[in-house]
This record gives sequence, C-alpha cells and structure tokens, in this order.
Amino acid sequence: MTLTVIKPGLQTTLQGAPFSGHRHLGMPAAGAADCLSLAMANHLVGNAPDALAIEITLDDAKFAVERPCGFALTGAAAFLRLNGEEKSMHELICAKPGDEIHVGAALQGCRSYLALTGNIEAQSVLGGRSTYLGAALGGLQGRALQVGDIVNRATANAIGKTTLGTPDNLRPIISDRYIIRVTAGPEFANLTPDQQQFFFEEKHKVGRRANRMGLNLEAMALKPGNGAQMQSAAVFPGTIQCPPDGEPFLLGPDAQTTGGYPRIAQVIRADRHLIGQLRPNSTIQFVKTSNKRATEIYRQKLSLLMPWLGAVSLW
Amino acid sequence: MSALAIHVCDDWLSCQLSDLDAVHDARAAISGQHIWQEVVAGLDSIAVQFDPAQITPDKAENALREQLLKPRTKMVMPPEPITIPVCYDAELAPDRDWIAERLGLSTEALIDWHSNLRFTVAMLGFMPGFAYLQCPEDVPDIGRLSKPRQNVKAGSIGLIGDQSCIYSFSSPGGWPIIGRTPVRLFDPEKLEPALLSANQLVSFQAISRAEFDATAEEQGQ
Repeated sequence: MTLTVIKPGLQTTLQGAPFSGHRHLGMPAAGAADCLSLAMANHLVGNAPDALAIEITLDDAKFAVERPCGFALTGAAAFLRLNGEEKSMHELICAKPGDEIHVGAALQGCRSYLALTGNIEAQSVLGGRSTYLGAALGGLQGRALQVGDIVNRATANAIGKTTLGTPDNLRPIISDRYIIRVTAGPEFANLTPDQQQFFFEEKHKVGRRANRMGLNLEAMALKPGNGAQMQSAAVFPGTIQCPPDGEPFLLGPDAQTTGGYPRIAQVIRADRHLIGQLRPNSTIQFVKTSNKRATEIYRQKLSLLMPWLGAVSLW
Repeated sequence: MSALAIHVCDDWLSCQLSDLDAVHDARAAISGQHIWQEVVAGLDSIAVQFDPAQITPDKAENALREQLLKPRTKMVMPPEPITIPVCYDAELAPDRDWIAERLGLSTEALIDWHSNLRFTVAMLGFMPGFAYLQCPEDVPDIGRLSKPRQNVKAGSIGLIGDQSCIYSFSSPGGWPIIGRTPVRLFDPEKLEPALLSANQLVSFQAISRAEFDATAEEQGQ
C-alpha cells in the first residue's frame, strides 16, 4: 500500500486517460476532467501524461503515507501541506511512511490532481482504468474513494526524475472566470439571431447542478425554435445542449453519449480542460471560433506544452 | 446521389441522414475506419470524432463524405435476432397495472401482447449498453412518467408506445416500466461488452419470478 485515505472530501476518484472507442456502446469518456492539470502532475512524478492520478473535487482531502513515494499536486487546491508544513504545488515532493498529505479545499476552480511516482493500481476495463461512476466501472471498484481506502501502486518509479517545478508561464490559471472558445453546434441555427447574440455577448453563470456529467448555465432563457422535433443524436464532452427549460447544459467527461436536445455549441478541444475547473457560480464568456481556428489553437497549445511535457494529447 | 449535410463541430462531425435505415447503412460504411476515434449513431444522424492534432476538420469532412458516398460493395447483415427473458411480476414492473388499464387489457393480456411484439434496436446510448428499441407495429401512446424515478433498476424494460428501452444499469429515469430482465446488458469483461447491438431484432419472452430470481443470481445482478 502507498496511501490510505483519511479524508476523501466531496468526491475523490482515480482518473487518467478517458475511455476511447466505446461511445457507440453508450460508454462515456470519463477520465480526468482537467486533463492539463493531470498531465502536469504526472510529468512532475515521471509518469505518462495520462497516467492515473487522484482527482479531488472542491473540498479538502487528507492521505496517510504508508510507503516512501514521490508525489506532486496541481489544480485548484488553495494549499498543500505535508505534516502541517506548507509545500509548493507543481513540484515533486518526497514523502515517507507516517507522513500526512493535506490537500487544501479549492477557493477558486474545482479540481486538483495528486499524482504519485509509479502506476496506481485500478480496475482495468474496456482498455482504460479511469473511474466511471455512472456504471461503477474502473478505478477503485468504480466508486469515489472513502475513508480507509488504500491507494496502491503496481510499480514504483525511482523518485527524483524531475527536479524542477512546472515553469511559471505554463502553470494553468485557476479562476472563477473563464473565457471559453466554442464552435457552432449542429443546431446553433435553431437559436434566433437575438439569442445567438445573447449567448456570445453576455457572461454566463454556472448553476448548482455541476458535476462530472455536466453543468447547467443559469437563467439564460435560450429556447431554440424547432427544439421539440430533435431526434436523439451524438453528444460529446464540451457539447452545450439546450433543453426546453432554456438553461443550457455544458456536458462534462461523464456525460451520456447521445441526447435529444439541440446542440448549440461545442467547447473546442484546446479549452475543454477548463470545464474541469468550473464550479457553481463560475462565470463563462463564450467566444466563437471557426473550426479551422479551433484546430490551429489546439496545435499551438500542444506546441507550447511540448518543450515541458513532451508529446501530449488533450481531450 | 443527394448532397450530404455534414456539420463540422470542432473535433467531430455530424451528418444528418433521412432515417434509421440510412443510419445503419452509414454506420456499416464508416465503422472500422481508423481516422475516427469514435463513431456514434443517432436516430437520424451519425457523428464521428477525430484527432485534430493529426488531421484538419476539412480533411476529416472530405474523408467522411467520401466514405459515405462510396458505393457499397457488400451487403451488411443485421446481427442475429435475440430473445430477452422478461419477468412481469408487479414488484419488478411498477407501471404494469396502469399501463394495462390505459390499454384496456387484463394483466395476462398485457403480458401476452407485449411478449408478442417485435422490436428493433434503434441505437445504444445514454449509458453503457442502454438500448433504444423501436416497434414497427402500431402501439398506443403511453407517455413518459410525469415525475422521473430516482432509481430505475438495471434490466428494467421501459415502454412509452412504439418506443421501448432497456436500462443496463440502475439510474434515474422517466420511462414507464413494464417488466425486468435478469440478464446483464453490459459486461465490460466480455469481448463484445454490450449484449445488444444496433439494428438487432429483439423479442421478449415471459418468465416466472422464480426463473427471474434464479437467472439474476446466476448473473450476479
């Protein structure tokens, strides 16, 4: 055993790469909600960018160290403490048996990633190991971590591969206000010109229904025409759907694979990791981009990350 | 050949199609093509996802168009028909009695009627292995529950008219429940994790509560 969970917080799950190639069976992506923070945490401990790590949501969490290990924390946590002593996030830290890791609650943003040197053990299913809560698959028995749970490592890397912390200019900004770029969804034209203008000109607030499946955007009163005639069609993480109540729903990594509401917009792949940091009351300004530009932005982002992270893929 | 209505949406494309038969046909044409990370069918559309680090949206759109317009060289056979055992016990079928009343049938007649209907899997979606079924016969409209249930059990068979569904996992849901099957709809350990597949013919066979309990125990449900 490597870590024992002392305090799991609101929802702490093992998350890494998303499930791929099974959406036609109804299997969602799952995987880390903020894949960029995940990749950065993994890099610091010498793991593959999409290796499994501990995803911590909003609340603070505590872990008891049982075996010597290196770890790194990225994301939204307000602080990191080892035995009560302040430690830096975005750095490799060595821990010994008897130590206690305390991950602070998020004051801004939503999720933090605790990566450990070596491969975390998890249920391997459908070619992946991330936790999909909806069907209790992957991770640790397909569920969120509980008090007393043990996080084991199948293999343990040597500690100390990386000595530097994440360069300052690459550390993701954790905020409660994000500009998120989108392309028009297949049913964007179902919105009236006034509604289209409203969608892009106003800032939108995340409502209280916010989890890994998705988030509602409050009181936008966007009621697309012809909405009722929509047949169930494919949706993806980052798709913004418009149900009849007029409150658009931004889909997260655990979202279903098909839906019957107009798909008005799609968060571009380069910005999708930001969805993992949205929480109730976060505000979003949507900016429209072309598909061509969306691809350029994605490739630029990967190039920017390349010198530090190497070849990575975001999702 | 009519022009294809393809909408590019960042890293995925959606193609509007005329009907479900066209969807089954399109799926057969593009499944197994390596440039697609995902192929997801809707009821009258199909979508594919690609890696924008590898190909541009323009190239992806052209590839999809080409694949869909290419003349089909081989017939695609639909999957083998399947019979799903269903127990209509009131405890497992909380909406059985009012559905029977609405249709003007006795409980026995309802079971007899439902287990003689033939359905086709329209698509899988919503959750792993969850199947949307369509019945070509004229089925009276039953409608959804006015208030969705918090916990519909795995295996529950929903019926709202000529559309039916099978819940693969326990979840909230708004379909009236007419029965429950003890068989597993999704087993990730299997090579083909989903029991059902699109375009498959499905019929139901009534089983007793004892048979249900025995099979459920066998399957670890």
